[in-house]
Amino acid sequence: MIFLTFIYIIVEALLATFFFKFGFKYLSHFHTLGENAQGKQWNEALQIYERTTGDNSMLILLFSVFAIAACILFIWILVLLIRNIKQILKLEKEGKHIPTFKEILLELLDSKFHITLLAAPMTTLVLFTVLPIVFMILIAFTNFDANHQPPGELFTWTGLTNVIDIFLGNSTKTHTFFGILGWTFVWAILATFTNYIFGMLLAMMINHKLVKCKKLWRTLFMISVAIPQFVSLLLISRALEPAGAINLALMKIGLINAPLPFLTNPTLARVCVVVINMWIGIPYTMMTFTGVLLNIPEDLYESAQIDGATAFQRFTNITLPYMIFVTAPATITTFVTNINNFNVIYLLTGGGPFGLDYYQAGKTDLLVTWLYKLTVDKHDYALASTIGIFIFMIASTLSIAVYNRTGSVKKEDMFQ
Amino acid sequence: MSNRNKKISILMHTVLAILSVLWLIPVFWLVLSSFRKEKGAYTSTLWPKAFTFDNYVKLFTDTRLFNFPKWFCNTLFVAVCSCIITTILTLMVAYVYSRLRFKSRKALMNISLVLGMFPGFMSMIAIYHFMKSIGLDQTLLALILVYSGGAALNYYIAKGFFDTIPISLDEAARLDGASRHVIFWKIILPNSKPIVVNTAINAFIAPWVDFIFVSVIMKDNYDKYTVAKGLFTMVDKANIFEYYTSFCAAAVLVSIPIVLLFIKLQKYYVSGVTAGASKG
Amino acid sequence: MKKKLLSIVMATAMVACMTGCGNNTESASAEKTEAVEVSEEDGQAETEEEAPDEGNPAEQSVIEGDGEMISLKIWGSQTDQDLLKELCEEFAKEHPENSWQFDYGVVGEADAQARYIEDPAAAADVFSYPDDQLTTLVQADALYEVTRNVDEVKSANAPGTIDAASYNGVLYGYPMTADNGYYLYYDKSVLSEEDVQTLDGILAAANAAGKQVHMDISNGWYLASFFIGNGCNISLDENGKQICDFNNEKGLAAAEAVRAFCNDPAFVTGDDSVLEGGIGDNICCGVSGPWVSASIKEKLGDNFGAAKLPTFTCNGEQVQMGSFLGCKVLGVNTQTQHPVEAMELAEYLTNEKSQARRFEVLGYGPSNINVSKSDAVSADIALKALADQSQFAVSQHVNGAYWTPAEAFGAELEGHSTNDLQAMLDQLVEQATAE
Repeated sequence: MIFLTFIYIIVEALLATFFFKFGFKYLSHFHTLGENAQGKQWNEALQIYERTTGDNSMLILLFSVFAIAACILFIWILVLLIRNIKQILKLEKEGKHIPTFKEILLELLDSKFHITLLAAPMTTLVLFTVLPIVFMILIAFTNFDANHQPPGELFTWTGLTNVIDIFLGNSTKTHTFFGILGWTFVWAILATFTNYIFGMLLAMMINHKLVKCKKLWRTLFMISVAIPQFVSLLLISRALEPAGAINLALMKIGLINAPLPFLTNPTLARVCVVVINMWIGIPYTMMTFTGVLLNIPEDLYESAQIDGATAFQRFTNITLPYMIFVTAPATITTFVTNINNFNVIYLLTGGGPFGLDYYQAGKTDLLVTWLYKLTVDKHDYALASTIGIFIFMIASTLSIAVYNRTGSVKKEDMFQ
Repeated sequence: MSNRNKKISILMHTVLAILSVLWLIPVFWLVLSSFRKEKGAYTSTLWPKAFTFDNYVKLFTDTRLFNFPKWFCNTLFVAVCSCIITTILTLMVAYVYSRLRFKSRKALMNISLVLGMFPGFMSMIAIYHFMKSIGLDQTLLALILVYSGGAALNYYIAKGFFDTIPISLDEAARLDGASRHVIFWKIILPNSKPIVVNTAINAFIAPWVDFIFVSVIMKDNYDKYTVAKGLFTMVDKANIFEYYTSFCAAAVLVSIPIVLLFIKLQKYYVSGVTAGASKG
Repeated sequence: MKKKLLSIVMATAMVACMTGCGNNTESASAEKTEAVEVSEEDGQAETEEEAPDEGNPAEQSVIEGDGEMISLKIWGSQTDQDLLKELCEEFAKEHPENSWQFDYGVVGEADAQARYIEDPAAAADVFSYPDDQLTTLVQADALYEVTRNVDEVKSANAPGTIDAASYNGVLYGYPMTADNGYYLYYDKSVLSEEDVQTLDGILAAANAAGKQVHMDISNGWYLASFFIGNGCNISLDENGKQICDFNNEKGLAAAEAVRAFCNDPAFVTGDDSVLEGGIGDNICCGVSGPWVSASIKEKLGDNFGAAKLPTFTCNGEQVQMGSFLGCKVLGVNTQTQHPVEAMELAEYLTNEKSQARRFEVLGYGPSNINVSKSDAVSADIALKALADQSQFAVSQHVNGAYWTPAEAFGAELEGHSTNDLQAMLDQLVEQATAE
């Protein structure tokens, strides 16, 4: 334990060094996010306007977050250190054995094994997920947009302006936000349930006793899964264009005279993304349901047979309830994933067709694709972060509520 | 077989045949385009006027700008590394949540679940500048870290599986004096082949299909691109006419190993997906 | 005994903390910058070592000279890479007083601003951008003013291009090409020179031959040609705020013409690859710029034709279609370590000799006055069409906000929407001029 104390102290020293050598100079600007933008000065000899280094609001914010994290870690380890020392003192007073470092290590492999196992995943989690998320959340309270780009311009705290702008303003942004929010939910419901129902039907069809070569059929459907989504979606998107292969084929057959506006008519575009999503998703749901179907206990059917149930009754009374029950958690997860289904929308339509009544968004845009475009194309980080926080709140509330209520969590000890 | 059954059987096979054709048309279209001689994303005829193998050859010979072999190696390297790291981390986390009981367990589980809901690319600027500050921007190592960094968030499928392994096995081992560390390696892992394979497949495939993080981390460094980002560059506005058919060829080459992987490991995939669900 | 040990532990802890905090304030910033520099150098050293093994000549070139090693990174589009390398190496030979190391990054003009803003410090020292990105780049203080040899640069290039590369009267880059515009490509076997004078003539001939007419209406860049042609104004005021009056009477008349065009059976939309893929087969003509010239020439062969944009019928009269005309400009990054050398390089890459070579190799239209008067340039069909069109063209003074609503407007018309045009135009203007 004494050795452990040394380790704690060394860690504290390292943290302090990090903080004062690196973090502090950023943290000291945290309240304003920088005062001096990059300046210029005429250099007569070189005949140029030399630039003087200014503050960079984004780096100040980012590294302040890291510095604050270091402070918190420092305090936490300080608490551990004090507790450790207290315990040593107590054990000594009582004349008990003070655990050696080796004993502590052994404990970490047994009764405190969770600390050992969680250490690495949690460190990466904090560094690559938690701190960046904190950074992004803070951005929502600044005016970091296309007009405030470092190094030429600084950005600063603006409080709740962005939130008010989106949720309470009577502007295009509000209209866009609620329009897209509505479609996001419609999409998530449609995308989840079309895949669910048709995937289930397909699985049942393939598993039907009259169907031969079950494995072959399954493999045929799975081949499409192997093509990376961005490739297949790009291909399909090109094929749906007015000059694309599908219109060409339909016109050759003589079904239509003029190209159909698959991706330019808002309603048709929305139908298209849902249908294409079925192409993407059904192989997966088919595989899931195959697994579930094979797991239905035979005795359920046997007793039904004795009662003289028809095939239809067997389906509605046994197969269907069983499958719905078993796949409920997976379905909820799919639903939440669909709210954030970036690939299908972005690669297929890019959110288009764009709407004149929308702010930088199109009629098939989901919140998540709108947010992507705002960040990457428009550099409107503050607005994007605000939307991001909102998506995050919806998705997390939904998943926590549902996940903790499903059978698999409540009865997690059932088999153990 | 009764007459009625025969009719049903024919009907079902017809429907399946039609559906599978629908599912395979885009695949077929991809392969067809990859052998097309005419350049460009659009042609005025559905069937190519002439076929060529050059699109494939070009991928390996014309590597000056679009270095497909290099991208392929990059992706393979990143995929293998992040697959190993992610699998280990995910299984560790899942095991902890499934078997060990400690104070903050429930809270940690919920927090992890929620963090996974945050749109990933929102954090990419932060990650880029963090990587830069530790000198890792434009390196493959950064990509590996990014892909495996979120491993702690995808624990629930594996946890669901571990929950189904009878705890009596653990208890027997503990009576024999095995520590938890030994139980994890000697008892849990050997009994979890499906879920190990499932986690590994998913982790392996991620680097092949992600293009967002690669573009943020690699920026203008073409040589460090992965296949997905590289292919994406091939079909951006300036290049699409010249490189579209090569893009198709490259996509076919990338798909082949994934098809084989899927066919071979199909059963593990299914058991993985249904693991968390099957016990209700 | 243990108490003693404990106190020693505590003491060390204190000392460790003190040293940790103590010597930081004076040396902190200095050490930090040093550390950054070192890591950057490491990164470069790594690439240097790797480059020869990979045999990847396009990525980097090192030319030994007498003096200090100057390393510069240059961004250019993918098609420009070979020429860029050639010209940079020539530049190095003409400046043996230094050793040069050039890194080439493939970042096309269209992406320049976005890539720059992601991380200015990692951006190229010299990069090319289209003049419509100038406002944003200047606001982000991304560009050095042209202050060395500024008079020579100004007099060597066409006044329009100098104007396009200037913001509030200050020149922010070296004009490189003057061909960022569009005109009509046509298939001579279907359309005659007379047909391509009017849009009506083109559509009539195309319908008669069962061919299609391509124009990307759902792209604000091309869409604007109708509005500009009918005398609408799209520009920036001195504060960089967008002015756009597409919703006045003239704009409405132009929009009616766009709607009529979109509803014509021969009309087809799509990006450049649609035009490149279909021309000569089912497409008889289309609107695009010099960058597709080579591939269209390849497909059409002797039937290759290019002309200024046609006139269109607007309120019963023939009105000449306008267009945007921009130039590509080489800018010097304010974050560069070697501003003077970067400026010399940028000037060299855009001088008369380099522009002549660029035309020779890539067919880009020069901004340099002497080169554009040369016989070779005058004989180029595509560039002649561009020059003919340029008298009806305006500089591209457009903010980022215009493009999305313009695309939405075009897409609605392409989709044969029957909504009220005036209302749509009002929305377009409102969004385009919003802050």
